[in-house]
This record gives sequence, C-alpha cells and structure tokens, in this order.
Amino acid sequence: MIRGVIIMNDQGKPRLIRFYEFQPVEKQQELVRSIYKILCSRAENVSNFVKVDSLFGPDVRLVYKTFATLYFVFIFDNSENELAMLDLMQVFVETLDKCFSNVCELDIVFNFNKVHTILDEIILGGQVLETSSSDVVMAVEDISKLEKNSNSIIPSIPGWQGR
Amino acid sequence: MALSGMRGLSVFISDIRNCQNKEQERLRVDKELGNIRTRFKNEKGLTPYEKKKYVWKMLYIYMLGYDVDFGHMEAVSLISAPKYPEKQVGYIVTSCLLNENHDFLRLAINTVRNDIIGRNETFQCLALTLVGNIGGREFAESLAPDVQKLLISSSCRPLVRKKAALCLLRLYRKNPDVVNVDGWSDRMTQLLDERDLGVLTSSMSLLVALVSNNHEAYWSCLPKCVKILERLAKNQDVPQEYTYYGIPSPWLQVKTMRALQYFPTVEDPNTRRSLFEVLQRILMGTDVVKNVNKNNASHAVLFEALALVMHLDAEKEMMSQCVALLGKFIAVREPNIRYLGLENMTRMLMVTDVQDIIKRHQAQIITSLKDPDISIRRRALDLLYGMCDVSNAKDIVEELLQYLSSADFAMREELSLKAAILAEKFAPDLSWYVDVILQLIDKAGDFVSDDIWFRVVQFVTNNEDLQPYAALKAREYLDKPAIHETMVKVSAYILGEYSHLLARRPGCSPREIFHIIHEKLPTVSTSTIPILLSTYAKILMHSQPPDQELRKQILAIFNKYESCIDAEIQQRAVEYHALSMKGAALMDILAEMPKFPERQSSLIKKAEESEADTAEQSAIKLRAQQHSSNALVVTDQRPANGTPPVSQLGLVKVPNMTNTDQSTAEQELPHLNGALTVVDPQPPSTPSPDLLGDLLGPLAIEGPSGTAPQSDLGVASGLEGGVAAGALAIAPVEEQTNTVQPIGDIAERFHALCMKDSGVLYEDPYIQIGIKAEWRAHHGRVVLFLGNKNTAPLFSVQALILPPSHLKMDLSLVPETIPPRAQVQCPLEVINLKPSRELAVLDFLYKFGTNVVNVKLRLPAVLNKFLQPITVSPEEFFPQWRSLSGPPLKLQEVVRGVRPMPLAEMANLFNSLHLMVCPGLDPNANNLVASTTFYSESTRAMLCLIRIETDPADRTQLRMTVASGDPTLTFELKEFIKEQLVFIPVPPRAAAPAPAPAPVPPQALPPTSSPTAISDPGALLAGLL
Repeated sequence: MIRGVIIMNDQGKPRLIRFYEFQPVEKQQELVRSIYKILCSRAENVSNFVKVDSLFGPDVRLVYKTFATLYFVFIFDNSENELAMLDLMQVFVETLDKCFSNVCELDIVFNFNKVHTILDEIILGGQVLETSSSDVVMAVEDISKLEKNSNSIIPSIPGWQGR
Repeated sequence: MALSGMRGLSVFISDIRNCQNKEQERLRVDKELGNIRTRFKNEKGLTPYEKKKYVWKMLYIYMLGYDVDFGHMEAVSLISAPKYPEKQVGYIVTSCLLNENHDFLRLAINTVRNDIIGRNETFQCLALTLVGNIGGREFAESLAPDVQKLLISSSCRPLVRKKAALCLLRLYRKNPDVVNVDGWSDRMTQLLDERDLGVLTSSMSLLVALVSNNHEAYWSCLPKCVKILERLAKNQDVPQEYTYYGIPSPWLQVKTMRALQYFPTVEDPNTRRSLFEVLQRILMGTDVVKNVNKNNASHAVLFEALALVMHLDAEKEMMSQCVALLGKFIAVREPNIRYLGLENMTRMLMVTDVQDIIKRHQAQIITSLKDPDISIRRRALDLLYGMCDVSNAKDIVEELLQYLSSADFAMREELSLKAAILAEKFAPDLSWYVDVILQLIDKAGDFVSDDIWFRVVQFVTNNEDLQPYAALKAREYLDKPAIHETMVKVSAYILGEYSHLLARRPGCSPREIFHIIHEKLPTVSTSTIPILLSTYAKILMHSQPPDQELRKQILAIFNKYESCIDAEIQQRAVEYHALSMKGAALMDILAEMPKFPERQSSLIKKAEESEADTAEQSAIKLRAQQHSSNALVVTDQRPANGTPPVSQLGLVKVPNMTNTDQSTAEQELPHLNGALTVVDPQPPSTPSPDLLGDLLGPLAIEGPSGTAPQSDLGVASGLEGGVAAGALAIAPVEEQTNTVQPIGDIAERFHALCMKDSGVLYEDPYIQIGIKAEWRAHHGRVVLFLGNKNTAPLFSVQALILPPSHLKMDLSLVPETIPPRAQVQCPLEVINLKPSRELAVLDFLYKFGTNVVNVKLRLPAVLNKFLQPITVSPEEFFPQWRSLSGPPLKLQEVVRGVRPMPLAEMANLFNSLHLMVCPGLDPNANNLVASTTFYSESTRAMLCLIRIETDPADRTQLRMTVASGDPTLTFELKEFIKEQLVFIPVPPRAAAPAPAPAPVPPQALPPTSSPTAISDPGALLAGLL
C-alpha cells in the first residue's frame, strides 16, 4: 500500500501532502521535515530509495525523485514494488506536465487543488488506480469541463445543516 | 502558468508566498482563518462558490502545517451540493482533512450512498474516491453491496468500475465480512477476464488483498493470473496507452506476480509450465539500457519475477540463473538496480542451496560497502551480515573492521554491533574474537555499546586458556596514546583479573600494570573509576610477595576516594580500603571471578529484537543459527583424545552457578572416555553475594537464570491431572535436584496469549516456546516456535497435543533434536467443531544433558479465538434479541463476586475478547450490549448477543443475558464470559522481584473461593454463585 505522497521544494516547503492513512497535522509536518532532512543530504546520481523504518515503522520505504526545484516522494510498504513506484511517480509527473504544459513549481503552488484532482485519478486509497497518463489527462479534462460549465451560474444550495 | 480559477485563493497563496518569515506567514494565516470563521458563522450570505473557495483555503492552510479545527462541517456539507464543482471540493477536502472515525462522516453516509447508486457517473466517481480513501466500518457495512454491483456492472464505464474495485478493497480491509467468499470468488475470477487494463489493474489489487487473507477460496483465479501474464509479457497484447516506455503495463505485471506469490504453490503442471515459460522470458529478456525510465520499468518486472521464482522454489538451475543475474546487477552503473540487486540477494539467502553461489560475489558485495550511496551501503552491510558463516566470517568481519574507520557516523553503531555479533557467532578461534572486539573498541569506541565489552569479558572469564592472551592484548592497547574510555574499562578489568598471568613479561609487573592504568584515571569519567578501583584492589591482592610501596600508593588512592561525592566510588573505596587491611582475608574475598552462567548473548538478543518479526527474516535467522558455532562452544567441542585439555578439567572443577554449567560438564563426560566419571558437580554455591555483586556490578547483564521465582512448582504439586484448570506440571523425570525452573509465570503467559495472537508460551533456561496464531472463522493455524537457547543441542524432543473433544488438532512433525541456538517451527492446524470451553494441552518433553524436562502447557485455543466481532445496528439487534425469547437459547444469570471495574474497562475487556461492544443500543448508561459471531463446524457462523446490566452501587455483581441460536453455544459463552469477569488474569507486575514468593495459584481467585475448587473453574464458579 502507498502510505503517502509528498511534493516539496528544495527548501523543504510542502507543496502537496497526501496521506492514505490519517496523520494529524503536527505529525505530517514532522514527517515532511524529517524526510526533507534525509533527502537534502543525498548526493546526485545515487539510488532513489531510502528506508524509513525509523519514521514509519518496519519495512516502510520511500522513493523520491527530483524534478527541477521539486522533490516528489512516495512512501509505501513492502506490498509494493520499489521500481513500480518509481514508474508511477514518472506517470504522475508526466501527467502534470501534460496538464500544465511544462509544469513548474508555481503551477503546483497555485493549482494545488488541481494537483489533488490529478493525484486522485492515479492513486486511490493507497492503491494504483490508473497508470495510463493519457487516460488520466482525459479524466482530468472532463472534470475541468464540468467545473467550467457550472461556474457561470451560482445558485444557492439549500443549507445542509438546516435540513 | 494556469491559475486555480479562484481569484481569492490565488491572492491568498501569493500573500503567503510574499511573507518574509514564518511569523508573517502565521499572521496572514491567522487573519485568513479568522475571516473564514466569521464567514462560516454567518452561513446565510455565503454562496456555494465562496464556500468552495474557503474550503480550499482551509486545505492549503492545513498543508502549511496549521491546525484547522473548524469548518469541517462546511467541507462535509459541500458533498451534498447539487453542482459538480462544489461537490468535488467537498469530497476532496473532506477526504484530506477528516479521519475515518470523524463523526461528521457518519452524517454524510446517506448522501454518499445516493451518489453511488445514482445515475450520475461523475458523482459516482467522487463518492467512490472518498469511500476508497477514508471509508470506515460503517461505510463498509452500508455500502459494500452497492459498490460490488458497480464493479461487476456491464453498463458502467471503466472509469467508474476501476474506482469501485479499489473502493471495495478499502471496505474489505475495514470489514472482511462484507465480501462473501462463496459468492465472490466466481465473480473475482470473471473480473480477471476484463479487457480494460485500468479495471484489470484495480481488480488485481483487490485480488491481492483477498488472496493474502484466504488463498484457498480463490484458487480458480490462479490460472487466470498466469493467462494475464502471458497476455502481457509474452503476447504483448496491450493497447498503446498502457505501454510504458515499451513495457506492457509494468504495474499490472508486477501486481499479477505479487498475487501469485500468495498462493503456496502452482500445482497444475500445465499452468506451472506456462508460468515458468513466461518467467524465463522475463529473466532472460531484460537488459540494462540507456533510458532510465525504461530501465526502471523493465527491472520492476524483472525483480518481481525473481521474487516469484524464489517463492515457487524453482529448480536449482533456475535459481542459479537468478543469482547470476543478481550478481550482474550489483555491479551495474544504475544505482537503483545495484540497490535492488543487493536487497534481493539478501532475500535469496533464505532459499536453500544458493548460499554458495552467492558467496562467489562476496568481493563485489564488499566493494558495495564503499558505494557513494548510503542506501546501497546499508544493503551491502545487511547482505554481508546475512551471508556470513564459519567459512567466510574472518574475511567479512575484517572487511567490516577496515570499513569502520571510514564509515558514515550514521552507520557506525550498526556496523560495530554487527561485526561483534558475527565475530561471536562464527569465531574460528577465541583469540581472534578477542582481537576483533578490542579492535572494534579501538577504532569506534564511541559506537561500541556496553553489551559488547561485557560479552568479551564473559568469554575471557569462562575460558581459562584465553586469559593470558586477553591480558597481553589489553596490556598492549594501554601503551597506545589516547585510548578510548571503553578500552580503559575493558583493559583495566581484564588486567585486574588476569595480569598476574603475565607477571614474568617485561612491563607487566604489578607495579608497572598499576602505573599504566592509573595514568588513565584523570582522563576517565565517574562511571569508569569504580572499575579502576576494583582493578587496583585486585592488583594489590596479586602482588606476591607484597610490594609495600605499591600498597601505600593504592591505599592512598582508596583513602582519597573515601570522601568522593559519587556513592558507588565512595563505597568501593571504603570497602577496598577496609579489606586491604585484613591481609589474607583479602585473598579469599577478592578471588578470581567465577564463571558466568551461560546465557544468550545480549547482543544477539538485541539484534533479534530489532529485527521485525517476519517470516522472511526468521528464515534467515534460522539459517544463521543453524550455522552458528558459538565461540563458547569452541572449548567444549574439542575432540577428547584420552588426555583432556586443562580447560575442560577446569570447567568441571569450577563451582557451578547454574544447571547449564552442570549439564555441559556432564555432557562432556562421554567424550572423556569415562576417565572423569567420578566428578561430582557441586551444588549451586552462592559465595558472599554482596561483595561479588559489588564487583559484578558493572557486568551484570542479566540475572542468573537460576533465580527465577519458584511459584509455579508449588501449584503443580498441588494439582493432579487438573489440566483444564490451568495445571502446569513440571515433572522432572529423573533428578529432583536438577529441576528446571520456568522463566516467567506460565499462567500469566497463557492468559496474555488468550488475548493476543503471538508471544511466548513457555520459557526456561534451555528452551523458549513461542506461539504465533492466525484464526479465521472456525479454523486456526498456530505455529509453535521451539527455540534452543543453548550452545548444545536439545535431544528427545517430544510434543504431544491433548485436544479436547471439540477441537480437531493436527500438529506437524516435531524434530527430535533441536540444534544449538536454533529455532524450529511446528505448525498446528486447529478446527473448532463445536462450542466448548475445554482447553487443549501441549505435553512437551525434552532432554538437556541429564535433565529430562516435561511440561504440560495449556494452549490458547480458547473460545474467544473463534469469535469475530461484529457491529449490529438497532434494526438488526432488537428483532434478533426478541426472537431468541428464553432458555435454552437465551440465558440470564445474576453473577456475583465480579472483579469490580469501571464500565469502560469492562467494555475494553469485552472488545479484547472479540465481543464487540455496541454503544447506544441500551438506553441505560450502566448497561453494556455486545455482539459477536461464533464459528464452529457444527454451528457455522452464529450471531451471539450479550447484555450486561451493572449495578453502579455494587460493582461486584451484575446481571448477564446471553443469546444465540444454539443452546450449547449460549451456555458455553455465558460461562466463558463469567469466567472472564470473575477472574481476571493478574497483570504482570513489572518490577516485582518477589524474593520469596509464596506459592501463588495460577489464577487469582476471588476472595470467597475455597481451595478445593482450584482444579475446576466451573465448579469454583458454581460454588460462588
């Protein structure tokens, strides 16, 4: 199972945090900090794997990849194949690239909501949902269309609590 | 650059980005939170668009690390918005912010369900995503059928179905009962015929979860998995969009091979042949290429194929092919592949017969210790540690020592621990072991834990022929400038004990030894000074003829420290000073340290504890243990050829501290050709415990095992055949004096195991019996782990199961001999035929030396293991409760003599017995309602309902009503619960040394009990009530 997906920049600022097992906010921040500390001490041209038993418990590992100013991090347990996780990360990044045409950190900062939508089309409940980047792009485009179409009129909805 | 489409959100994000420091950011966030809070309070004026914007801001703030403790309701309420954009935000933010137990989620169940069963596909997708991410048990129970329908529906689009598959997986994890095995296995098989790869990938993940729990029900999926692999890897029959860098969906290939690894084997020869054909193709057809992504993808498949080959236990030829491939990988340029090559080699170690092939790559693996990547260096260390045995220990340990000086600080502690363990386990001779440890301390003193030097002292003390050598080495190290404090400790200790053995060598007179040690005193910390003082006292004792000058100097030092502020130092100084005045008495009291009782190395124990308890690792451990030749054994195992070496005689003469020594000594006798048959092992002696204890102080790693409380024995003698009542009979068949005492309280261990599924069932100085159990419906699979703790084998091992009539128990073969330090696993299959509280007993017997130990142990295959908690809604509960109207299906009883406990504690107790407490069913807060499902062959799955009415004024009594569809079950369950309430296992008293424990019955009995009732809890309770 994939335990979490984190995007952070090379200063350690989180750009997207998604855990598939609930983590309280303080714990999330602590994990982001610890992971950042590990990652920024790693040289170039080394493997993409780090064991993180000390942070997440036995047999939990992490793959990461740097893209320009960003670290992409997947955390997962031993029911997943390490390299397959790396492949999935590549699919995620390629999809972002297609959706934002040449994605950069600012796209992710200002569209973190859309990044969430994209991620939800790739990973669901910690499991691989879709691996075809073109299918993901199609699904996300459909969602964007739906958003636009109903943005023009904003009717008021009946108060949910009032019922 | 695209923008979020919400101006307010973009402005807020820019503001945050423009903050110069954390303080400014906090101010901006606080301002925004205040704003959102006020807007939410006055909900009337809020448009859905605004709501959506604020909820996104909340998620952004949450990501920045600020707690957002309000607005959850607003996020959840957006789920029921009629328009897509608001609904989508509601779903996404809710699944990020809330955990599965949040109350608000419960409120949304109906809306979510309406979206799932509704016609709008986009809504279905949103709802499935939320449930798949955070759905809990309640979702599982109310939504599973709908989700299943979507997954198998032919009219749904793949987009919906693949989400339904993963959503169902989540629900299954939350409550396995929602997937009905009988009905679902056929469906699952059909799902694997799916053409759409998205749906197929999700379905495969679902299958992995299902087979990992119950592979038997899904046998029919196995050939389908092989077909899928053929389709992908052989026929490459994959649409373009699922081809990733030229590889046909690597994820699906990997998941499929993962699923296959949950089936114990592939029996059908045709399927097996097809599978191996595909695997062979994968193994052979993968090359390292330039493109990193392509490499990663093809090797993801390849490594999974390797794992599957290992799992299937292929022919040796294919295995060697795998090792050869791995050997290639660990030398390639691509770091990821090097990393996984090493990791998979480590996994490969547990496959029989390939260790020798792996050893051929030793040089390359050692090179990997210098890899630029610390992740790879760690894997290399793990592998070297795992592959080390007697044949290569010297090479490997020396490499590790060499590497130690250049290793990362982060790795040094692990490295030195591993080197120490390997040196101990596989030492070809003891002097080498001493060399290694002293080098270790010399090179990396800061990273050498106390355990390591304690252990070397133990070895030296227990092996006389080693003592002069160790003393000489210690003396040599003292000549080095600036040695580590640990080196001062160990050298001082060894020289104190054994420097007299060096007396004739230059530089080794008592005076010289004293001076060179005393030089170090100003540089050491307070914890070392007591050791130095002991050393001085010992040197003084050994200086014969007395050296008055030296005596004066040492007494002056004692004198000086008599007023030391540190109590330990002060006490030693005072005592040694006083003793030094006594002349000859000093000789007796400060005599050489006796041998240490043989005990498990605390290092190895530490290493074992730090390993996760997985089957994989224990296999490696087991192998390592089988190969182990503990250094302590070295002297024992020397071939006796008429003239026994001095050390063996010495071993026999030494006052024995424990049975272990005694029995090893006796075991030696046959080797000695009967020459020493008259040797009479002395009874355990306890010479002046206080003084020795004082000297022993820093060395006391663990108490001698002979001091275990004797409480259980008294009980055993008082019980005859009262097995069901918790009798534990330790009946030494031969010598009464050699009775082996169990470590820990057997009854306590049993009771602990009734509540959990793994732990220690029994332990004594020779053996540890551990248990790991899995229970599913009326089946149980219990594995007994029989671990020999000693360096000599245990013989005539016999294990007999005495099953009660309601359990069918099948124990696999138990080997007659357990090799030294080895652990054997004996699976035990259990089938529950009908409800009963009777207990199964393990009759266990082994021989160690001349000791025959026979114990009867209750097995924790108790009634509650066949219970599975289930929550019932009021709609389900009350009709059932009413329909089971009275005896014999519904029984009521007033129970007195209940151990008083608060209701919450009782609820916890019930939950831990798998009786699921259902709050809110009973309007009276003093009552407790619970439900569970009982499984047995005769009753099948049967719902049981329990109601407890307590009296807040008198917590020692309550009224209990139990109902089920089977009269025996109702009765047995009622009695079972009663036993739990009246008798609660005594929690382990952590720090109770119990110096002279009165015989304690294995059960804490209620005060009114009469002793005659001990043998039968049923009778006991009947008397009480």
